[in-house]
Amino acid sequence: MFSKALFKQSMKANWVKWLCVTVATCVMLAIVIIVLGSLAINDIRDSLKGVFTEAGQEGFLKENTVDSYDAYNLSVTFAHNINDPQTFGALGGMYGTLVKDYADAVDALENPTDAEKDALKSEVSLSLSSKYAPLVSLMGMDMTEEELAQFFYILFMVRDDNPTFTLPNPADYVDDTYTNGADNPAYQLAYAEALNELKDALKENFVEYAGMTAYELYIEKGEEEAVASEYAKQAEKLTNDAFSSYAEKASADDFVYDEEMFKEEAKAYVINMIYEEARAKYLPNGEENATEEELNTAEQYGVVAKVLANTALSTYELWLDEYSNTEKYPDLTQAEIKDKARSEAVESITDQIPPDVGEALEELGNMDIYGLIIGSIFYRIAGLLLPLVFVIMVANGLLAGQVDSGSMAYVLSTPTKRRTVAVTQMAYLMLSLFAMFLLVTITSVISIWVVGGNNFAINFAEICFFNLGAFLTAFAFAGYCFMCSAIFNRSKYSMSIGGGLSIFMLVCTILGLFGSNVVPSAMRIDAMNVFNYFSIISLFDTVSILEGAIAFAWKFAILVGISIVTFIIGVFRFEKKDLPL
Amino acid sequence: MEEVIKAEHLTKDYGGGRGIFDVSFFVKKGETFGFVGTNGSGKTTTIRHIMGFIKPKRGQVFVQGLDAWKDSCKIKENVAYIPGEIAFPDLSTGIEFLKAQAELLKLNDMSRADELVKRLQLDPSANLKRMSKGMKQKTAIVAALMADKDILILDEPTTGLDPLMRETFLELILEEKKRGKTILMSSQMFDELETTCDRVALIYEGKIIDIADVNALKNSTIKSFKIEFLNKEDYQKFKKLKYKIVRDQEKYFQVTVEIDDGEINKLFRSLKNYKLKFIAEVKYNLEKHFKKVLEKELKGGQNV
Repeated sequence: MFSKALFKQSMKANWVKWLCVTVATCVMLAIVIIVLGSLAINDIRDSLKGVFTEAGQEGFLKENTVDSYDAYNLSVTFAHNINDPQTFGALGGMYGTLVKDYADAVDALENPTDAEKDALKSEVSLSLSSKYAPLVSLMGMDMTEEELAQFFYILFMVRDDNPTFTLPNPADYVDDTYTNGADNPAYQLAYAEALNELKDALKENFVEYAGMTAYELYIEKGEEEAVASEYAKQAEKLTNDAFSSYAEKASADDFVYDEEMFKEEAKAYVINMIYEEARAKYLPNGEENATEEELNTAEQYGVVAKVLANTALSTYELWLDEYSNTEKYPDLTQAEIKDKARSEAVESITDQIPPDVGEALEELGNMDIYGLIIGSIFYRIAGLLLPLVFVIMVANGLLAGQVDSGSMAYVLSTPTKRRTVAVTQMAYLMLSLFAMFLLVTITSVISIWVVGGNNFAINFAEICFFNLGAFLTAFAFAGYCFMCSAIFNRSKYSMSIGGGLSIFMLVCTILGLFGSNVVPSAMRIDAMNVFNYFSIISLFDTVSILEGAIAFAWKFAILVGISIVTFIIGVFRFEKKDLPL
Repeated sequence: MEEVIKAEHLTKDYGGGRGIFDVSFFVKKGETFGFVGTNGSGKTTTIRHIMGFIKPKRGQVFVQGLDAWKDSCKIKENVAYIPGEIAFPDLSTGIEFLKAQAELLKLNDMSRADELVKRLQLDPSANLKRMSKGMKQKTAIVAALMADKDILILDEPTTGLDPLMRETFLELILEEKKRGKTILMSSQMFDELETTCDRVALIYEGKIIDIADVNALKNSTIKSFKIEFLNKEDYQKFKKLKYKIVRDQEKYFQVTVEIDDGEINKLFRSLKNYKLKFIAEVKYNLEKHFKKVLEKELKGGQNV
């Protein structure tokens, strides 16, 4: 089955080709990896990526600014509304309905869970707020429907803390027996105390509510629980501060409620908060232990944050004014106006780029240039070219070439079986290719080690799989070319059908590259992907290897299958055919 | 005597009249058998069948009783071959080639090879690619003969050799023959087959037309003489005598007569009365013989 003499003869005939191709491929690969490793080729990519990360941060910061501003204003309005004793008188009746509606709704369900109860609370709050909003407005109270619903929900929260809670009714604090028809000061004091107690409870629950809302919002944005908790605390502090600020001002004798003044205050408060937050991010050891450099950096970023926050708020205010114009936008509700203005205000740089261009740029930022050049270009095209030429030439020379020239007669005029000839030549082709890729693999591993080992964009495991893939691809081509060499008696047919198709496939892979998804969409022509279906090199899936997926494994198995089948056909065909020797 | 090579109704039709058709012959042990024929007549195709390189469409070839196609590897233990086309494997020098060949033949003793190299005045250290046609042929001869196989199959082995070398080679073949080798060789040259072969087959358009016994031909008692007369009268008078005239050239007053050895004195007596320009014996050789056979075949073919 195997002839050592013939194997030696094949080695002598082909060692120069083998050496040239192996050395050239190894040198090429080493240059590619070392050059890529020493040049900061990913700089542009990183800066692009940076733009998008910063844009994301910018959007996040602006959202936080606008939301905080809203929360502050809402707190002030809430504080103002509950500061007016009249409010409670008017709300007394509504509260009764609220409790009754809720009790009815709970009774309608069998054994409701806590979550269902919470949902019912929101539901009842919402339905009653739309019902009572016109009435509240008539009473001259500055409460939108949304605010009213919120207020009702907070009343539920207060009630949860104290199940026997009722709104203090002024009628309960009237003493008819008191002289001159005036109120009894003791009763007045008692009523005021009851109101204050209620206000405190409301405030407390409002703060809790604000924290809860903020937590949910940040979880919804995809932040981690710890981060969301941070922002919840921030919201609670902000709400608390807003209440305190209102209370301080309201306690003055000459207090007049001025909405604009509180808005200015809210603006200043939020901008300062954002500034402090940004600074704190760059002072990991706290203000006291910070180095001068750290302080400078923190200040720099703080100012940037301040400017961004200011811009966001100004934009927000402008768009609120714009959308509040009922002549231009007659159909917008209060909530819609806020939403629209908010989305205008939180826009970042990248939001202003057209979506297609934005996507293309973002993809460019995320593109893996090392994977593209080493995987898709070197191992699948450039590095495969020379081994492929070697395979085409040597496979032809091992059988068809010798039959065509007639030199095969010398081998076959000795007691050497044809199967032995075919198997020996096959073994030479396989082993020479294996040795070639073994050296290429060693070169690649050394080169990766030189440029930083596993810290390099492509690690040892990935580069080994690349080499295995290239070897199996070349191996499949070797099988096919060997089969052609065994079938044909003329070099020209063996070369043109074996080598021709192989080169055709390589060219298809080059063209197909422009249609494959390793190329960023800005440069990609999707229709070119059709070429990939004409090439078995497509079974060498470098993308799958880099993604750590398993898809490449079964594609490798197909390549091995092609090799086995073609080599076997080659051996059997050579054994059976007529030889013109 | 044992038939070392035996072909039975060997047929391989390549279409368009090319190929070989119903070729049957045998070569006995120790015999030297020749194949003669024009280019494309089927000599090489027949030899390829014997070597087991191609599978007959019909018929069979046996070498030492083994089927040449099925047991092609086994028969080569006793067969040496010089291919018609000289193309060596991709190796650098003649020595390297001979060594590789010896390895394939599992031959350790190179003394016979050295002897052959000396006889053929070959420089085996020369680069295979730069060798002249003659040098290549000598190398191929050494490669074939060095293992001292019992059966030699030589496809036009003298092509490219200069006349002196050809003589040396033919001597070599005769020596091998004396050593009891069974030899089958093809050639386009009658004389070299005549000197070496016991029997020669003529192949024409894929068929064996005739197999001639060279020894019988050499010992034939029939002789031909070419006679030219000085004048026309003598020429015409001579023609009236009852000699077998095989060729008549009136323009030169020339005739070629064929007589048995016993008639020689009678002929000379007859010629006494004529004025001759010259008389020469025309040897009856293989070439003549086959020409005659072929002419007959062609005429026969036309008649049919």
